Amino acid sequence: MNWNCTQVEERLSDFLDAQLSPEERAEFSAHMATCPDCTRLVERVGGILQQVHQLEMLEPPPQLIGHILDGTLGPRGREKSRRGWLAWFPAIWQPRFAIGAAVAALSLVITFHALGASPARLKHADLNPVDLVRLANRHAHLVYARSARFVNDLRVVYEIQTRLRPEAQPAQEQQPPSPAPTEQQKSQGAPHPGRSANRVTVVMAFALVSGPVRSMR
Amino acid sequence: MEADAQLVQMCLRGEGPAWEELVKRHTRRVYNLCYRFTGSASEAEDLSQEVFLRIYRTLASYQAAYGGFPTWLTRVTRNLLVDHYRRTRRDRLTDSIEDKLPQVEGKQSVGRTPDRQALDQELSVQVQQALAQLSPELREAVILRDLQGLEYGEIREVLEIPEGTVKSRINRGRIELAKVLESMGLRPA
Repeated sequence: MNWNCTQVEERLSDFLDAQLSPEERAEFSAHMATCPDCTRLVERVGGILQQVHQLEMLEPPPQLIGHILDGTLGPRGREKSRRGWLAWFPAIWQPRFAIGAAVAALSLVITFHALGASPARLKHADLNPVDLVRLANRHAHLVYARSARFVNDLRVVYEIQTRLRPEAQPAQEQQPPSPAPTEQQKSQGAPHPGRSANRVTVVMAFALVSGPVRSMR
Repeated sequence: MEADAQLVQMCLRGEGPAWEELVKRHTRRVYNLCYRFTGSASEAEDLSQEVFLRIYRTLASYQAAYGGFPTWLTRVTRNLLVDHYRRTRRDRLTDSIEDKLPQVEGKQSVGRTPDRQALDQELSVQVQQALAQLSPELREAVILRDLQGLEYGEIREVLEIPEGTVKSRINRGRIELAKVLESMGLRPA
């Protein structure tokens, strides 16, 4: 059986896609050999399709995938967290918050300075929680020890003061009751036995107290 | 890399990254199908979003046994395109021509010479204009076969028509496309 032009045209795609059986292919080729119109048609369609097949897929807009995911999964985590962070900014820029933050920072600086910690001397090892606990523990004990020493010193001063006072008291009693001091005595400011003892006590107390104070610095 | 069917199962268990992977894997195919069918970049973008939204909502109805995920995805896309075509039939002639310009430049074009890219761009525009002159039935058959590279069996599943009809439409579509492109000055390779 010889194929006609209509049959060739109907099976054109099968020929181009290599879907014809060997017999069909032989019929197709036999007709083309005798029909210039069909030969031209096959060449035209085949040649143009070859170019169309070379066309690459178009690249979708870059935002498309994001829009699809937003539309299905909702706003994605990364953007949500960014929006979450941005949401804090108006609150941070409130004057009272800024003042509070500044005061807190200043308190920290003072505390660090009092504890002898300097950011410039800070090492990586200093940030270790174990070291921080040890350091805080050591500082707490030092402060406690200094406070205890200070209280003990004060107690010693008080004892010395109370022991010196009974000695000064009898000396005052042995003196005959003197009349009212003269104007000269008043102006010269005659030394009082009790007053000199008090002065010694104060000097000793100062010596004792100034020691711990210096050591606390 | 997980198969599409596995990713679908993971999606159904509520795993967001699996859905993200499915979207990334198939957006290009869906966008191209929409673009070639409508000829409009903005419509293709909107329709692609609509397709994935529909897919996301009906993911539970996908049965791997009924065919590959790409085939199902293409069928959903095609049905949506047909709906869109019917809905916008009257407005089509008034669309802006600027919106119709395709974007050939992309990752795949890297390494091609500027001359080659310019030729591709020109050919892409001509093909798009020629496709617009075909009837929707012939257009979708040619797009699926020659621009999306689907097999006859897959096209039959997508269009839900007998294979004989698929072949007939592809054949007539190709002949008409060649005629139109020739009339536009394109010469066979």
